Amino acid sequence: MAADQVSMGTRATGAVRTAVGSVVSPTSERQREIRRIVALCLPFSVLLVFSGVFPLTEMFRISFSESRLVTEGFTLEYYRTMVNDPYYRNIAFNTLWFAAATTVASISIAVPVAHALEKYALPAKSVILTILSFPNSLPGIVAAFMIIILFGNTGVFTNLLAFLSGQSRIDVAISTGVLGLFFAYLYSMIPRALLLLRGTYSEINTDAEEAARVLGATPLQTFRYVTLPQIKPGLIGAFILVFRTGLAIFGTVLILKGLLVWTLQIDRELAQGFNIAQASAMATIWFVFVFGFTVFALRYTSAEVSI
Amino acid sequence: MAKVSLENVTKRFDSTVAVDDVSIDIADGEVMGIVGPSGCGKTTALRLVAGFETATDGTIRYDDEDVTPVPPENRNVGLVFQSYALFNNMSVLGNVTFGPKMHGVGKAERRERARELLELLDIEELADRDPQTLSGGQQQRVGLARALAIEPRILLLDEPMTGLDAKLKQTLRQELGQLLDDLGVTTLYVTHDQEQAMSMCDRIAVMNDGHLEQIGTPAEIYEEPANEFVAGFIGTANLLDATVTDGRISFGFGDVDAPDGLRSSGDVTVLVRPDDIRVGDGEGDAAVEVTNLFYQGEHIQATGTLADGQELTLQLDRSLTNVETGDTLSVGFDPETLHVIRSTK
Amino acid sequence: MTERFQRGSLSARFGRPVVKLVLVLTLVFLAFPVVMTFVSSFASDWFGVFPSGFVTIQNWEDVIVGTGVGADVAVGSSLAYSTGLALGGVVINLIVGVPIAYAVARYDFWGRDWVNVFAILPLAPGIILGVAFLRTYPDLSTSGIALIIGYSLLKAPYMVMAVQSSFQSMDLQQIEESARSLGASWPRTFLTVIVPNARTGIIAGSIISWTLAAAEFNFSYIVYSRGTPPLAIFLFNNITNASFLNAAAAVSVFFLLIALVTVSLQIVGNRGTIRRV
Repeated sequence: MAADQVSMGTRATGAVRTAVGSVVSPTSERQREIRRIVALCLPFSVLLVFSGVFPLTEMFRISFSESRLVTEGFTLEYYRTMVNDPYYRNIAFNTLWFAAATTVASISIAVPVAHALEKYALPAKSVILTILSFPNSLPGIVAAFMIIILFGNTGVFTNLLAFLSGQSRIDVAISTGVLGLFFAYLYSMIPRALLLLRGTYSEINTDAEEAARVLGATPLQTFRYVTLPQIKPGLIGAFILVFRTGLAIFGTVLILKGLLVWTLQIDRELAQGFNIAQASAMATIWFVFVFGFTVFALRYTSAEVSI
Repeated sequence: MAKVSLENVTKRFDSTVAVDDVSIDIADGEVMGIVGPSGCGKTTALRLVAGFETATDGTIRYDDEDVTPVPPENRNVGLVFQSYALFNNMSVLGNVTFGPKMHGVGKAERRERARELLELLDIEELADRDPQTLSGGQQQRVGLARALAIEPRILLLDEPMTGLDAKLKQTLRQELGQLLDDLGVTTLYVTHDQEQAMSMCDRIAVMNDGHLEQIGTPAEIYEEPANEFVAGFIGTANLLDATVTDGRISFGFGDVDAPDGLRSSGDVTVLVRPDDIRVGDGEGDAAVEVTNLFYQGEHIQATGTLADGQELTLQLDRSLTNVETGDTLSVGFDPETLHVIRSTK
Repeated sequence: MTERFQRGSLSARFGRPVVKLVLVLTLVFLAFPVVMTFVSSFASDWFGVFPSGFVTIQNWEDVIVGTGVGADVAVGSSLAYSTGLALGGVVINLIVGVPIAYAVARYDFWGRDWVNVFAILPLAPGIILGVAFLRTYPDLSTSGIALIIGYSLLKAPYMVMAVQSSFQSMDLQQIEESARSLGASWPRTFLTVIVPNARTGIIAGSIISWTLAAAEFNFSYIVYSRGTPPLAIFLFNNITNASFLNAAAAVSVFFLLIALVTVSLQIVGNRGTIRRV
């Protein structure tokens, strides 16, 4: 048994040495190709390590630190807090249901919009496309400002509602409530969902749809039995990515404050007494959850990420 | 220009053998074709010669130099692909001068060389055009000029005519054949189109499933195929089961004199080409009941059943347009056109 | 059955109008506040349903020149600073993004799909990466270097995707092999043939990743400590601290920037299509 392990060990080392050797001084075209692949992936890997993996590891380490500012000792205190304190459990719950609800809402809106863009003859289509993709370039804080314009204390709809109902504007303003935040999330997430779904829609086999119509299917039946099965992988992919987007929103909620979500609490840990360890622990939980969720979802569903 | 040889070359990818112990000698200035069905290893063979794959076993030589481990950029090979793969970031002239530039040829000289080639290929007026604006036939010429500009030791053509329409193919085939003859450049021409290979190549290598089945002049390959595969792949072939005894070939439907000098005896397979079968002259060797007719313009192709149930494909000339399915035709075989290719046991 | 054909099913009669209504409402929801922001930035007050007191350039002046109170920095310095930081990010993105996009598009290798996933999905969002940077590179935070390398990681996926879409329209293997058979070494092939052929995607990717880096708030907010605020922080200060109409003007400056970028992207895209004809 021990001897087996040793020989396996040497074999493994030998294999590694051969692999390294073939990269350094290749003799066949395949080895030269491997060297090229390594060279092409190297710059990205360096960036990934220095600005991704290494900082995240440091963050992970300090989340177990007994001291507040330097990594020292080992404690599960911060994780215990998150599990035991109902305050944090409540935030986690808020974050998840809110991201899920906004994801479902934005995809429900994006599907008919993508459908219209792909199937209908629309006037001024390039203008429509520009309007629909424009918010993809806007940071969350601007999305929040857009909601203030619509539903804030002096917002257009607030004024309109106040005028129609006779109530004061402050009473009908919803921008700082959960509903206002919901719309602000949609402002960022609908264009994102649309971007993903349009890629999916463009790959649909329209002959099958026409065949279904010729065979007597109604438009709804055609969508249900022919179109939907074709866009399903893209739809699942869009759900995964838009849900991730929803979980990561921060600037929007920092301004509107409608609901205390995970990212906002991370900021509060830093803003109120620079509790970096607690913030790191929260960020670690966030990262592990989203990373695991993505890997799991891409691996075990038929999700297709086509952008 | 050089003679190029593959000596017992084998290429393995993981568990599959793409090229299995193949030896081909291409003489200086010769146009060698490699034909075979898709997946037969012909493209891998070309890539081995070019250097894009390294042989698992065996040696590749240019003249007497062993180039097996030499990377493609140092081999000086001209390569024309099916898609032509022109560089869209350069003009036509830029494409043609690219190779000489990489070989350190001075600016004036490489422009001069490029102009000459464009003129030779009759596309000198395209020099400043953007490759994306050219037609398929023009792109092919530019691709050829680009490959020839480095004065390659061997020119490699990988299905260069697929994707062009039939009429253009015909013209280009003649032009290209003429050009290769004139330039005397050693050429390896890989195609699945046996007709093209027959008309353009000095010799043809037929590959199947990684093996070299036969190598020879187009006439040799057509007239004396080494085995059933080659016979079936090149042209239309009737392969009939028969037995040879005492200078006679006995088919299930009758006996025919064997060709002179036939050595085999016992059970054999006999190849006879449709255009070698005499049809309807009264005193035939066998009767065929026509089952299908295909009008092909210059002639009519007919398939029918012999008395023993074997199928036979015939070529009818246009005087026989009144033949219908169900008719019985008498057919005759000339001993010299019968080719015994394989003992079945 | 005949009857159904005559009257049409519910979805045949109402499907299209309902779908179109969703489209129109979405467009209004997305575009209306943008227009209102821009319009109100020229108004002197906004008390009723619509702003009033046109046309004044006071709000724009406050943003462009600075007010000296509250959000006191002029937009110019923030814009210039962010432009520089984002450009730094784009340079890094070019160096890391173009090669990996080529590796994935051209070669077949073990683990390629996962490399692709890592290249086109952001590893961590701005706020998480920001927390990680605070701890790891505390000294770099004030110099802007932390912002540059953070931006480059966050926005690399957009560069990779744009370049990949260019690569997908090229027969990479035949182009690479043609160049090499003509005597170009592999690095030279990559730099003189492959990269110039993908220029449309590279330019588009640069513009997109530049814009998104200049607009990145979450990461900047956590990492930024003092000195000239990046553009997104400047916007934040205006939205939270300045008067409503000043904020509208500040956001409008940003809209103009995005509009400029959109137009230039379309020019790049059009040139691409003209060349393809």
